[in-house]
Amino acid sequence: MTGNRAGLGVAKEEFLAQVRNALGKRAAESPSRPYPRLEEDADQLGQQALEVWRRIEENRAGLLDRLADTAALRGWNVHRVGNGEEAVGRIVAIVTEAGVRRVARSAQEVFEDVPVHRALAEAGVNVATAAKGESRGREEVREEIIAAGLGITGADYAVAETGSVVVVPRAGLSRLVSLVPPVHVAVVRPGDVVESLDDVFLLRRLEYHRNGGDMGSYLNFITGPSRTADIEQTLVVGVHGPREVHMVLLG
Amino acid sequence: MPRIQTRRFVPASEVSIRDPQLRQALRRVGSGFDGARREAIEEVTPEAWEEWREQARQIKDHTLANLDHYLDLLHDKVTENGGQVHFARDAEQANAIVADLVESRGVKVVTKGKSMVSEELDLNHVLEGAGVEVYETDLGEYIIQLAGETPSHLVAPALHKTKEQVGQLFAEKLGVPITDDIEEMARVARTALRQKFLQADLGVSGANFLVAETGTLVIITNEGNGRLCTSAPRIHVGIAGMEKLIPSLQDLALFLRLLPRSATGQRFTSYVSMVSGPRGEDDEDGPEEFHLVIVDNGRSKILADPKLREALNCIRCGACLNICPVYQKVGGHAYGWVYPGPIGAIVTPSLVGLKEAKDLPFASSLCGACRDVCPVKINIPRMLLHLRGKLAESPDPEVRAVPVQERVMAQGLAKALGNPGWLSVAGKALRTLQRAFGRSGGLGALPLGPLSGWTRSRDLPEAPKRTFRDVWDAELSGAEGKDDGE
Repeated sequence: MTGNRAGLGVAKEEFLAQVRNALGKRAAESPSRPYPRLEEDADQLGQQALEVWRRIEENRAGLLDRLADTAALRGWNVHRVGNGEEAVGRIVAIVTEAGVRRVARSAQEVFEDVPVHRALAEAGVNVATAAKGESRGREEVREEIIAAGLGITGADYAVAETGSVVVVPRAGLSRLVSLVPPVHVAVVRPGDVVESLDDVFLLRRLEYHRNGGDMGSYLNFITGPSRTADIEQTLVVGVHGPREVHMVLLG
Repeated sequence: MPRIQTRRFVPASEVSIRDPQLRQALRRVGSGFDGARREAIEEVTPEAWEEWREQARQIKDHTLANLDHYLDLLHDKVTENGGQVHFARDAEQANAIVADLVESRGVKVVTKGKSMVSEELDLNHVLEGAGVEVYETDLGEYIIQLAGETPSHLVAPALHKTKEQVGQLFAEKLGVPITDDIEEMARVARTALRQKFLQADLGVSGANFLVAETGTLVIITNEGNGRLCTSAPRIHVGIAGMEKLIPSLQDLALFLRLLPRSATGQRFTSYVSMVSGPRGEDDEDGPEEFHLVIVDNGRSKILADPKLREALNCIRCGACLNICPVYQKVGGHAYGWVYPGPIGAIVTPSLVGLKEAKDLPFASSLCGACRDVCPVKINIPRMLLHLRGKLAESPDPEVRAVPVQERVMAQGLAKALGNPGWLSVAGKALRTLQRAFGRSGGLGALPLGPLSGWTRSRDLPEAPKRTFRDVWDAELSGAEGKDDGE
C-alpha cells in the first residue's frame, strides 16, 4: 500500500497551503525572479560541460598533482603509478602489507586496464567480484563483501579541489565495497579527474537532464578514512567505515 | 516532543557553570572548533569567504521566499525517482508516519544516523514504545543514547562527556573492560554497532540539504554510519525540516565549502552522501524503499514572521555556539531543549512557545560574534532583541517577562535620554543615590529591593563629580572649533 492513510501526515496541497499562508501568498505562483540555474536545459548544460572538459584537458598534469597533494592532506595514502601493470603491482603490495586473505572488488571498466584479479589470486588471495550474476543474488554478494578485509573500486570522478573520490553505485558497483571492509583501495585514471565540486555537480546535472531525470539512486564523495572526534575532540580513524584508504593514481 | 526544560535556564546554568569537567570541555570548543574555523577561512582568504557567505545567504533567502514552489518541485522529483514523500504538520504526525512504516513493514531493528530533527520529534522513544530496537550510530549520539541523555552541541552531541565517563559508561552498558583509551572506545562502538547495521531492516537519516532540482537528500558525515544507514537496510527513511531545501544541485558546491569549515574547520568531511531514491533495478545493493518525511512542527510560524524568517536559513553548523561567551560558560543542556546556543535562543522560543522559553532571548551579551561567524549571515542579535521586545511588550501576561520595575526604569530612561532637562535631573538623582549606597567608589551589590538582582553581579562605576555637560559649558564650548564655518 502506498499513499497516506488518514491521520498519517497531511496531503501535499494542505501542507503547501500552510506554507503559502505563512508567506502571505494566496495561490501557487512561480518565483518572482526565476532561478537562473533551473532555467538551463540539457543543451546549455552540455555546452558548459564541454568547456569544463576543455579546461581540464588543458591542465590535466597540474590537476593530477593537485589531486595527489590534496588527497594526501585529507588522509589518503596516494600511490602514483605510470601504467596498469605498475598499479597491479602496487595493489598486490597493499593487500599483502595489510595481511588480508579476502578481497572484494567492484566490476568496473577500470579493471580491464588494471587486471588486479588474477595477480591477487596468484598471490594466494581470495578475490570476490562484488556483482550479482546468474548464479549469485544480492545476498551472496553482500556476504562476500562483509567477509572481505579489503575492498577495491574504481572512481567515477576524482576531485582535485577536495581530494575526493566520487563513486556512483550501480550494476557492478556496490555501495558497500568502499565502506564495509576496513581497508579501501580506489583506482583513479587520469580521465576521472575534475577540478572542482562545481565541475562534478555540473556533470551530474547534465547526466540527470539528458537521461530524462535519472542520475542513479546514490552518490558518495569519499575523502580520506572514516573518522570521528566525538570523544574529547580527539581524532580517531576507522570508526564505522575504512580506517585505511589508498588512492592508486594512474598518471 | 522531548521534555521541554527551557524554563529552568537560570538554575540549570548555575549548576553547569560550577561543573569543572564541563568547563574544560567547553574551553576546547573555543580553542578547537573555532580556532580551526578561523584557520580554514584564512586559507581560502577572508575575501572569498565573504563572497561565499553572501551567495549562500541569497540562495537561502530566495528558497525560503519561494518555499512552497520548491517543496512542490522536490516532491515531484522524489516521486519520479521512485521515493515517497510524506508531509507532517507536527511531531506527532511525523512520528506516526515512521511508526506506521515500521509496523506495516514488520521492522524489528532500526539504525539511525545523526539527526537533530529526530531529536526534536523524540522519535526514538516513540519507536521504542512500538517495540522496535533503535540504535543511534553516530559515536556521540550512541554515547548519549546509552547514557539516557540529550545532545549538548549541534555537531558534537557528547561534547560534555570526558573519556573517563565514556569508558565507565561502555563498561556498564556493554560489559567491556573499562578503558580510557579513546581508540579502544571507537573500536568497541564499531563492533557493537556493526552487527546492528547488518541486522537493521530500516535506516533513519536526517538531511543537511534537500535538492529540489533532482529530488536529492544530502548528508554530510565523517564516521561512515550515515552511509551504512542509507545503504545496508531494506528501507531508508530520511527526515528533514522543511527549511532544508536548496534549488539546484549546483548550489551544493557552495554549501559543502561553507558547512564543514564553519562547523569544525574541516576542509571537507570524509563522506558526502546523496540519495536520489530507492535502489535502481540493476543496482547491487541499497534500500528497496525510500521515504522522505518533511516536517513543519512550528517552522511555518517562523516563516510567517518577517522579523524571524531568516532563522530558517540556519544550516546547523554550530559556529555560533562555539564562539558564544554564554554557550561557552553554560553548555548546551542549560538551554533546556534540542537546539542550544545563540541560534537555539531564537529557534527554541519560536518552536516551543515564547512563554516557555522567556530566559533564552536574554542569554546573550549581544556582542554580535554569532552574527559575524554565521556562514549564512543570520543576524542573530537583531532577532534576540526582537524577541526581547516581544517579551517586554506582550499584552499577554503569560508571555511578558520583564518585571514592572524594569519597565518603569526603561520608560524613565527613555524619558531622561530624550530631554536634556530630564537628563540633568536624572544625573543629579543618580549621584545622590550613589552617596547613599556607595562604598568607596561606585555602586555595589544592593542587599534588598528591586535592584538587588541586577546589582548582585554588576558594579555601577562611580559617577564623576561633574557631568559632561557641566564640563562642556564651562570649558569646552568656547574653545577650538568655534569659528569653523559650514
